[in-house]
Order: sequence, then structure tokens, then C-alpha cells
Amino acid sequence: MILRTLSNLFLALSAVMLALPILVVCGAALNSGRSMFFPPKEPTLARFKEFFFTETVWVTALGNSVIVAFCSAALAVLVAWPLAYGLWKQGGKAAQVLAGLGSMPFALPPIVFGVGLGFLWSFIGTLGTLWIGIISHAALFMALPLVTISIGLQSIDRSHLDAAATMGATGSVVFRTVILPQTMPYTVSGFFFALVLSFNEFIVMFFVSASSYSTVTLQIFNSLRNGYTPTMAVAAITFIVISVAVFSAVARWGDLPRLMGAEPAKS
Amino acid sequence: MNGLSLKGIYKDFGSARAVENVHLDFAEGELTALLGPSGCGKTTLLRMIAGLETPTGGSLHLGSRDITALAAHKRRFGMVFQNFALFPHLSVRENVVYSLVISGTSKSDAIATGERLLDLVQLQGYGDRRVGQLSGGQRQRVAIARALAQEPEVFLLDEPMSALDAKLREDMQVELRLLQQRLGITTIVVTHDQREAMTMADKIVVMSRGKVEQVGAPQDIYHRPENAFVADFIGKANFYDGVVENGKLRVMDTLLETNSPASFINGSDVRIACRPEVPSLGRKDIAGSQLNATVTFVRDVGPARDIHLKTDIGPMVVEYARGEEQQDFQVGQDTIVTLPLDGLHVFPEPRQDAV
Amino acid sequence: MSAVSDPEILANSAPTARSRLADLSLSQLVIWGLILFLCLSPFALIIAVSFGEKIEGASWEWGFSLVNYQRVFVGANWPEEVTFLYLQNLYYSLYYAVFAAVIAVLLAFPFTYLMTGLSRRAQSAWLVFILSSLSLSEVFIVMGWDVLLSNRSGLPMVFKETGLTAWLKEVGWFDTLREWGLANPRNVKFKTSVFATVLTMSYLVWPYAVILLYPPLSRMDRSMIEAAQTMGAGPWTVMRTVILPSVRLPLFGATLLLFVFLLGVYVAVSVFAEPAKQTMAVSVYSAVRGATLNAPFGAAQAVILLITASVFLVLGQWMSRRASA
Repeated sequence: MILRTLSNLFLALSAVMLALPILVVCGAALNSGRSMFFPPKEPTLARFKEFFFTETVWVTALGNSVIVAFCSAALAVLVAWPLAYGLWKQGGKAAQVLAGLGSMPFALPPIVFGVGLGFLWSFIGTLGTLWIGIISHAALFMALPLVTISIGLQSIDRSHLDAAATMGATGSVVFRTVILPQTMPYTVSGFFFALVLSFNEFIVMFFVSASSYSTVTLQIFNSLRNGYTPTMAVAAITFIVISVAVFSAVARWGDLPRLMGAEPAKS
Repeated sequence: MNGLSLKGIYKDFGSARAVENVHLDFAEGELTALLGPSGCGKTTLLRMIAGLETPTGGSLHLGSRDITALAAHKRRFGMVFQNFALFPHLSVRENVVYSLVISGTSKSDAIATGERLLDLVQLQGYGDRRVGQLSGGQRQRVAIARALAQEPEVFLLDEPMSALDAKLREDMQVELRLLQQRLGITTIVVTHDQREAMTMADKIVVMSRGKVEQVGAPQDIYHRPENAFVADFIGKANFYDGVVENGKLRVMDTLLETNSPASFINGSDVRIACRPEVPSLGRKDIAGSQLNATVTFVRDVGPARDIHLKTDIGPMVVEYARGEEQQDFQVGQDTIVTLPLDGLHVFPEPRQDAV
Repeated sequence: MSAVSDPEILANSAPTARSRLADLSLSQLVIWGLILFLCLSPFALIIAVSFGEKIEGASWEWGFSLVNYQRVFVGANWPEEVTFLYLQNLYYSLYYAVFAAVIAVLLAFPFTYLMTGLSRRAQSAWLVFILSSLSLSEVFIVMGWDVLLSNRSGLPMVFKETGLTAWLKEVGWFDTLREWGLANPRNVKFKTSVFATVLTMSYLVWPYAVILLYPPLSRMDRSMIEAAQTMGAGPWTVMRTVILPSVRLPLFGATLLLFVFLLGVYVAVSVFAEPAKQTMAVSVYSAVRGATLNAPFGAAQAVILLITASVFLVLGQWMSRRASA
């Protein structure tokens, strides 16, 4: 009984600790002045208006963030699919090496990958364009759809493939009518994971954008030396809301515990 | 269109031989059961017939056509899988008409066929349900309807009853057999349950360790097992080791009389099987070998009673159907067992090539 | 093995070597090219650039000189003068990363264990919360802690207003805090300090720790714990003799992975660490794009960071593979 209370207390304390800086940022967004105070002085919602509508810097940055996140997540899924499929279908050393290489950018310190990409794009002469930012993020976050799609493929019952074959389905028909629909929730989850992380990433973006454009988090990173403004806190709130919405959607339509590595749910 | 025949089919997985040199004919319209313990190669054989597994050697023929190299999706033998393998992302109707849709049948034709098939398996009105909403028995019906949708030349079922509970299983065996007879479709059922095989099959193929042990009609196999494995696997039997002695059989210190074919050389070792319903208890008016026995245990399961005995030749179980013999047997009671002359199956002692 | 059968291969039971090669050359070659270009070439390029030389201005040229590495290990003016300035950066990289990773895992382990005991729905809700926090940009997290720890607002204010500072002075602990660099003569201060750096860094990876520990803990057979209980083991004995031994390797593996992740942290260190205690990630940044502006030298430091990270990463992977085997 005491143990149970202690356990719940620990869970609650962890939640508070996890939420603390986030709550502080949310509160700071209400400041009316140019400085961050907590608790906020003269609470106002003016900063929200600035962030979403009136300040061009933020509006452009938010637009870039959205474009980069969506496009890079889609690209990451497109590249991750053949990798995951090859790993599942053929297996073997080559496919494993390929998947390992694909996960490398995500596993190693992003600052190192960012510096490397910076060199790469400046050699090719494409440094600083938005689509290079998209490709860079796709490479960085490919590991996420690779993992979720692999989990999806492994969860396909092989007898379903045999059943389709006995009913006249060729390899490509099996792929289209069985494999693709059954792995769709996992593909979508992978897309969303990549989307949210791309949305929040700034180090790699810093090196590949070469100051010619910026995303929201990069904009904050760049003005770090000048201190925070409450408008940045509004950005933080926006990002938190988006993350919670996306992961709630994944939890609602997908099996989040399974994606995170729990045993399949007993039905 | 004629029956299906296998000519010298065998299959190796690595260095292990899963199926050995099988020659079989499946007559058109017949239901054949592939029966054997798990790991005997029956499922591998079925998968080779379906085209899901490539034989290492030998050939398959459908009528006069050699189909050994024909891919599963070109053979289109309808197959019901052990776990039914219904597609969870499709509705019941979409599952049933899957083969039609992917082969380009028009939508209206597919829907009509779908309804007809759902009628056939008594699932009218279930077309729009999700697979996850169905019970085990309903899933099996969907799997059967789905496999029949493409009007296959051969209908294959891999342990179709194993996912059902015991009571439903017996009903479905009868139902499936009636359906098969109505459609007159060549059918092969893999099972490890001899009751299931005997309920449904025209012909039973008993397999063990990748080999075919015996092929025959159910009653033939039960009453005339060709070897000790079949006698043991099909139905129950009491087994004894003995030696042939002047046309009789010596087991321990007792001589048993038999009129089963006396083709054994004097002094050779034999294995003797006796079905539990064959011996009589406490009667001296039947021709045969009489043995002293003591009752050690009585198992009354309702419709039948098993009397466990300690006899001159070893432990024995005698089964009485209810109403057949109304004697009371108490544990510890002494009695007499009579083994009728034609009640013993005698096999040569475990084959040298076995193991 | 046997259960897999490719209908396409069966269709044409002996695929020729040539058709297989054609398959490879078409789709697989494209994929291989793409992956090598995007995922391997940036790292290869860093290694190549690290042997280059800086020329006047902000530019550099290809070369094969070890001068950049020499500068990292013994300083630019070696052998006349030996400095370990950059090795010291590496030391602080490791120092912060080790403490933050260990703290995060120590706090995440009991949390994850308790969470995996909840219903699946509750687990889903927790995972949404944790994943949202995990994906939240480092800049926002640093922003939050910065507000919390800065001298003008946040915790120091709370300390002062509630009289906690006065009380600390009274009992004499204030001097201890000053010795640790966590106070100025007037009040407690957390910026800049090792404490603030490690705190923020462990906060940063705590959600990762939970996500890494989630699979082994949620898959752990709970009947094992019940079995131990029926044999008379109390909660602590169960923890010590059953749970900990069964997740020993995942715990160690998770710590290593977090450690590698933390080697690359930039914002938290540049904001919270004292100027003399910056890390290699920070000096890579300033060499490539910041004040130093010496790309080959930055690359050389990145290579050293890369090697350090790879070594621990391989070790961590090996651990988790051992654990799942």
C-alpha cells in the first residue's frame, strides 16, 4: 500500500519535473514586454499575433519549418521503404549494411553530420537552398520510418502472403493488396516521427542553410546571444501543441506501445 | 479435368529430408486426409501441392498436365490456412472476393459471387463486417468461402479445425464434408486428428517421418493397419512384444492363439496390437486365448467405460460402450480376459530401417 | 525459412544469375548510391577536410597535413609550447555526458518500470507526453531552464522571496554552495555552472532513456516477479535479484547511447557551461562557423568526436544485441 503510494508519487513527480520548464515557457509567452519573466508581467496575447501574423521573420520561418518538415518526412519515408523492404524480404548482410548506413546520421552527433553536409553541399554548390535543407533532414531522420516500417513488415503474418498467392496474386499484387495496406499505419507513424523531429531540428539546418533562410527553431538558435523574447515562447507553445497533437494521433490510430517496442497487444 | 497425382515427390530442407518419395493419386471429387503426427511432413506436402513450396525432386500432375513448375498464383488451388489468414484490412466480403477482384472480375459479378458464397457457408448478411468482429467458426467459414471463390480445381485445407473449440470442431467436420460432397471438388485436408480424418475422408493417407505409411479407406485403415505405427496412431491399441512359436504367439509365459496370417517364420520377433474394444471380460464362451486379469482402474467417461487391467501378458485396457456390457467392475476384482482369434494384429518387430 | 516462398521466383523456378544481376543493377544500385551519398559521404568528407590547411581569410585548401590533429592534441605551437586546451574540451564533453546520461537513466529506470505496469491505455498517454517532450527542440528546453535558473527570475527569485536563501545563510550551507559555485554573495545562482549544464542535459535525454528502456521493461515477464514473491522475496529483494539482473545490459546499453547523444549537445552547453568548461561540440561549431573560422581544424575535432561517438555506439549496440539474444 505504502509502496503503491510511493510509486504514484514518483510518477507524478516525474511528470511535474518534465512539465516544469515547458510550463514556464508557456507562461513567459504571455509577457507584454520584450523580456522573459516568470511569472509574466502584464499578461497579453499580443505575442501570438506577432508570431503568426505580423512579424515577417517569424511568419516566413514558420512557413519554412512546415515545408521542410513535410517534404523531408515524405522523402525520408520514400527512401526508407525500399531499405526496410529489402531488409525484410531478402535479409542478408548487404541489406543490413544498407540499413545501418541509413541509420548512421541519426545515431551520431548531429553537429558532426551537419558539418559534413555543409562541406558536401558547398562542394556541389547547392548550399543554402531550401530543397537542400529538405534533403538533409530526410537523410538525418530516415532512421525513424526505417524502424517503424520494419516493425510493420515484421508484423505481417507470412501465411497472408501464401493465402494471397493461392488466390492468384502475383508478387506485385501481393505487395499492393496485402503488404502495403497492412503496413500503412506504421508508414504513417514513421512519417509523423520524422515530421515532428524535423520541425524541431536546428543544428544540421544551421550548417546547410548557410544563413540564407531560417526555420523557427533555427531563428531562435540564431538569436540565442541576444536573449529570448516572449515571441519565441509562443513558438515553443506552438511546437509543443503540434507534437502532442501528432503523437496523440499516432496513439489513436496506431499501436503506440507496440511501435515503441512492447509486445503486440493481446486481442 | 482429372485427378491430381504426385510422382516421386520429395523435399529437402538443408540436409534434412522433410518428405520422402511420395507417390499418391487424388481421385477427382474425393476428399483425402493427410494424417500424421506433427512434423511428419504432411503440411510440407500440402504446401508443395499448393505451389507454396518447390519440391526438391519428383513431379505433380493435374490430369495430363505437369504442374510441378507452375507458381502458386497460377495453380490457384483454393487453400484454407491453419490460422485462416484472413486479411484484417479487408471486410468479410472483400476477403471472399479477393481472388476475383485481383483477376479483374467486374465489380457487380464479384459482389454477386460474394453473396452466393456467403450464402453457401451460411454467413448471409456478414459481408460488411470486419474480420476482427467474427468468431472462430465464422472466420473458418469466411476462409472456406474465400478459397472456393475462384472455383479451384483442387481445394486444400491445412489443419482447418485446429483453431476451433472441441464441440464446434465436430459440427464443422460434418458440415465441411457435406459441402465438399455437394460441390464434388477434389479436396485434400491435412490433420493430426484421426477422428477428424475418419469423419470426413474418402481416403486417408497416414504419414510418419516424411513417409507414407498406409493409404486406404478409413475403415480399412482402422481394421487392417499395415504396420504398428498405423495401428498405434489410428485409434487406440494395446501393444505386446512376442515371439512366433508354431503358429502361436508367445508373450512372456503365455501362448496366444491367433488366426491372423501365419506368414512369420518360427522364432521371429513380432509386435502384437489389440484394439481395446476387442477383448471380452469375464466370459468363457468365446473362442480365443483366455488370460487371468485383475482390475486396476475404471474410467467411466459416460458413453463408454475403460477397464484397466493387469494381465498375464502385461497391462491392458478394455473399452466397453455403454449398454454393451452391464457388469460391474471394482478395482482389485479378478476376472478373465478373452482375446478372440481374429482380434490380434501381428506385425514384424520394429523395422530395421526405422529410426 | 521454409515458410517464405516468393511467388515470382517460383513462377520461374530457376532464375538465372543474369536476371538477378539485372535486378541489382537497376533498383538496388540507385538505393546504394543514394545512401552512400547522403549518409556516408558527409562523414567521409569531414575526414578528408580534416587533413586540409587553412589559408588566409576564411578559406582553406586540400592537403595532407596532420597539423590540425596536432593542434587538438598538443596545441598549435608544439613543440615549443604544449597546451591541452582542446583535449580539455573533449574531457568536458565526456564529463557532462557521463553524468547527465547516468542521472537520466537512474531516474528513467524506476519511472519506466512503474509505467510499464500500467494499463495499455495509460501507457499510450504517457508515451504521448514523453514523445512530445523528447521531440521538443533543444532551444525550447534550454529556454525553459534558462528562465527557471536565471538570476533575475525563476528559482533564485523563489529562493530569495520564500526566505530560503536567508535560511541557508543561517544554517551555514550557503558558504558550501558558494564553494561549489552555486551562489554569489547575495543569493544562490545556477548560471553558469556544471550543475545547470548537467541538469539541463539530463532533462534533455530523460525521455530518450524512457523510450530506450521501454522495450526491455515492457517485455519483461511479470510472472517472474510473482514467482519470486511466492518464494518469499520482498519488493527490494525482487528488484535486486530479479529485475535488475534481467535488465542489466539494456540499462548499460541505454546509458551508452544517451552518452553518445549528449556528446553532440551544443545549445545547453553554450548557455549553461562556464566559459572555461566548454565542450568539443562547441569548439567544432566555432571553428566551422563561429569565431575561429578554421574549417579543417573544426573537421579534425569533428573526426575525434565522431570516433569517440562511434566507439561507444558500437559498444552500446553490442550490449543491446547481447541483451536481446
